[in-house]
Amino acid sequence: MFLTRSDYDRGVNTFSPEGRLFQVEYAIEAIKLGSTAIGIETSEGVVLAVEKRVTSSLLVADSIEKILEIDTHLGCAMSGLTADSRTLIDHARVEAQNHHFTYNERIPVESVTQAVCDLALRFGEGAEGEKSIMSRPFGVALLIAGCDERGPQLYHTDPSGTYVRYKAKAIGAGSEGAQTELQEEYFQTMTLNDGFKLALKVLKQVMEEKLNVSNIQVAAVTSQDGYHILSEEKLQSIVEQL
Amino acid sequence: MDMLATNPAVHPTSTAKQAAFSPYADHGGTNLAIAGADYCILASDTRQSSGYNINTRFAPKTFKLSDKSVLATAGCQPDCNMVVTRVKHSMKGYKYTHNKEMSTPAIAQMLSIMLYQKRFFPYYDFNILGGLDEEGKGCVFCYDAVGSYERVPCNAYGSASALIQPFLDNQVRNKNQQGKEKVTEFDPVARLSIDEAMRIVKDAFTSATERDIYTGDFLQIFIVTSAGVEEQLHPLKRD
Repeated sequence: MFLTRSDYDRGVNTFSPEGRLFQVEYAIEAIKLGSTAIGIETSEGVVLAVEKRVTSSLLVADSIEKILEIDTHLGCAMSGLTADSRTLIDHARVEAQNHHFTYNERIPVESVTQAVCDLALRFGEGAEGEKSIMSRPFGVALLIAGCDERGPQLYHTDPSGTYVRYKAKAIGAGSEGAQTELQEEYFQTMTLNDGFKLALKVLKQVMEEKLNVSNIQVAAVTSQDGYHILSEEKLQSIVEQL
Repeated sequence: MDMLATNPAVHPTSTAKQAAFSPYADHGGTNLAIAGADYCILASDTRQSSGYNINTRFAPKTFKLSDKSVLATAGCQPDCNMVVTRVKHSMKGYKYTHNKEMSTPAIAQMLSIMLYQKRFFPYYDFNILGGLDEEGKGCVFCYDAVGSYERVPCNAYGSASALIQPFLDNQVRNKNQQGKEKVTEFDPVARLSIDEAMRIVKDAFTSATERDIYTGDFLQIFIVTSAGVEEQLHPLKRD
């Protein structure tokens, strides 16, 4: 399979005769190696949940960060080459602060997503007058959650720079199974707590390790409290409800 | 050497003269705005003057930006024109990127930055931005030429501002009125009905036209409500 592609999969900016950009497709494949991340949009807010791969008992689980704050009303979960997300999230944060400075209002969730996606295809040599920032596509997918005047929203972005809004989305290694499960279990009138429970239930099913409070991370973005990571006590109480 | 001082026969034009760069002109005119609980009124005269000359009797300097915002400008006409053009341009760009109309408070912040960016060669332009905020409340933002701004219940800018502002302070903000609750910066909306506010606006301009030679000809009034922007034109004295 890979041999047939070999002529055209080397250049990051070369289309194959069938019209495909293999390097971008490979980048999308890279995400399927990452740890599972789940996002669920409810009427009360958006839930983000990720698994942490604690590969050794000597590893300090708290040092793994896969959910980050973009602004007070925006959060982001990731899967794939998490180091690549630093450039994207840094850009998103700058963009959010710029918007606040210029317009004295919070940046809309879709706009910050668009801003991140604008970076996604800026790999390769860089156009005239434009500095190249990456030599290859970003190998990371993001779940961007936020609340603005249009209510709670969840967006998924991938290395091709495409973004789509989802009611519930799973990315990473366990995404296929998780997505099927989400599709079956999701309902329109979900509360935030239903969202937490569903996210953890699905995560529990797809994780290789046994789920506990130290190998997951959960955050919520609500209109009232904005972005916040759930405390260990809160997490424990949800795990017990499962 | 001191020929100029001692020899009056030397013609003054034959001596060296310093060339002056004077890019600004004052074209007169007055603007006024009042914010109410659910409305905002902006009014301006349409006379444009240069010194004792009247350039034109109808040069509008207040413009509708959206269904919720109106911008009144006074000072140097080309500078005012440039500011309005740039604000409109930037609002269009915002609409394309964010899929929504820029709110009045957002325009307020953006305009402030736009003016401050020209801190060392400012636009000679005193702006009043009026309209409805995100809650549907009336709002008035007044600016200095370099972008310092404030949300106020009412404001008068331009050549007759010294005549109108004290009148507004007394009638709209209830200053020096015993037994009447003052309008403060904590709730910057006038406690007036739309009809009362309209009467004050018209009275203010009729009186200002009597005394200020740079104000007159026509009175343009923009009334912003949740229904949109209504524009009225009234005659003023033309002398």
